[in-house]
Parts: sequence; structure tokens; C-alpha cells
Amino acid sequence: MGNCLKSQGSDDISLLQGGSDGNPAHQQSRSESYSSASPMNESQDHLPFYYPPPEGSHGNQVNEENQIRIAKRIGLIQNLPTGLYDGCKKNQESVSLDSICTCIICMVEFALEDPVRYLPCMHTYHKKCIDDWLMRRLACPSCLEPVDAALLSTFDTS
Amino acid sequence: MTDTAGLPRRIVKETQRLMAEPVPGISAIADESNARYFHVVVAGPDGSPFEGGVFKLELFLPEEYPMSAPKVRFLTKIFHPNVDKLGRICLDILKDKWSPALQIRTVLLSIQALLSAPNPDDPLQNDVAELWKVNEAEALRNAREWTRLYAGGN
Repeated sequence: MGNCLKSQGSDDISLLQGGSDGNPAHQQSRSESYSSASPMNESQDHLPFYYPPPEGSHGNQVNEENQIRIAKRIGLIQNLPTGLYDGCKKNQESVSLDSICTCIICMVEFALEDPVRYLPCMHTYHKKCIDDWLMRRLACPSCLEPVDAALLSTFDTS
Repeated sequence: MTDTAGLPRRIVKETQRLMAEPVPGISAIADESNARYFHVVVAGPDGSPFEGGVFKLELFLPEEYPMSAPKVRFLTKIFHPNVDKLGRICLDILKDKWSPALQIRTVLLSIQALLSAPNPDDPLQNDVAELWKVNEAEALRNAREWTRLYAGGN
């Protein structure tokens, strides 16, 4: 049944996919760059598999640049503080209860002891959710604040 | 009933909320056999040349959603500088400005807003945008005419 759903899904968006790119060769090179990037990710065994951001993945040279970029970004993300969720009472005054107690990415309420990551703008997310996003874009999903302007200038993240 | 097994909780929640508290002027209903595919209908906003029209769109949540944006396309023909002949939409939040804090609901609201405020300076359909810039009156006439012809408007 899973397969059935999947193939149906790709049929449904065939036009849309053609629309966003239109070039099958480009699509191909994207998937190659994903697979060649994976061995590096495996060494980061505590992190889930990340897809590099899709832009600019043409050819092998860029694959290598992408791998370097991924490594740099993983290093940068690891500098951001993490913790275990300890209840939603402490910041209650400023923001509505709902937005503090729920991870805006997965829309699931934080449970006590959930691993979370704190961004410099003070927005909090499940570690797993925000790490996945930060690999794609180094900005807070809620306020779009760059994650760390000072670090951004020393790490090449473009 | 749509099968929600194996579907991320976020998608289930968004779908339920779209049904329970629909956005005024917008309906989005999950396909019976594919919970990631939505049949969308947007009413042309009052005061726009699309007023009175009923515009069908399709919306698909890719495997990576919400890390990547939903894919949305007009199915109804529309004369709009930011929508091309295939119905593809030029909207920043569907491309580089996507954030997982956005939702199906906010995407559809943005599309509704795009109908009220066409942006010919960021065109997807160049000839339409050009006309919008050099002869807005004619562009608006065309948009109204297409709305009447294709979107069932009066």
C-alpha cells in the first residue's frame, strides 16, 4: 500500500516537478550528489541523514564543495546550545502558551525530557526537527533571524 | 476516508484543522486515496479582477514536507502576471522563502493575497506582466474576461 501511495503521488506531481526544474539531467545529478554525500554523514553517527540544499549541485566538483559545506554546517549547528525540555512555564509571559509548548516544525507538543535546541533568538525546537532544517537554511523558521551572524561570517555557508 | 497511517502527525493535524476551521474563501480537501494531495478551490477576492471566479488548484506535500514547501499549481486558467500557462505560481514562500513555520493554510492565504495584489515586477508570465505594466486597464479587462470564461465568474 505504501508503494501504491508513493507512485500515485509522483504521478500527481509530474507536471509540478517538471515545472520546478524541467531538466531530467539536473534531477539525475541531484540524486547522485545525495548518494555521494552520504558516506560523510555516516561518520556523524549521532546525526540523521541530511540532504544538502538542492541549489547548485552540478557535477563532481560541486559535490565535493557540497560535502565540505555540509561538514562545516554540521560543525556550526553543533555549537548551538541543546538541552532537555523542562516544561513550558518559564517563558510564559511573553509568548502564547501554545507556541511555547509546541514544536512549530512537527506541531507536536514538547514532552518533558525531549531533546531540544535553543536558537540565539530564543526560539526552541525539537533537536531532530531544527537540525534537519538548519542543514537547509541557517535561519530560525519562526522569525527568520540568521542563526548566528558572527559565525556566518567565518563559515562559508553560501 | 483518507488513510492516515504512516502520515506525519503534522499533516494529519493540518488536514483536520483545514476541515474544522476553513479559511474564508478557500477550501482544501485531501484526496481520498492520497493524503498528501489536496484539491483546493480559491474564490477570487472581492475588488480584484478575479472577483466572482472560482479557481481550482492542486497542492501536493512532498515527502520532505515541512522541510520543503508544498507544490501548488493553478488548474483553472488565470490571467495573472505571477502565474504561467501551466498554472505554476511565482511566490517567494513557495521557493527560497519557505519556512517550516508556514503551513498549507498560510500558503493558500498568500496565494489569495497574490490574486488581490498582482506583482508585474516579479513576473512568471512575461507577456502578461508586460501588459500589466504598459496598459493596466487592458490587463485588468483581460483578467476579468478570463475569470468569466474559465473560472465561471460573471
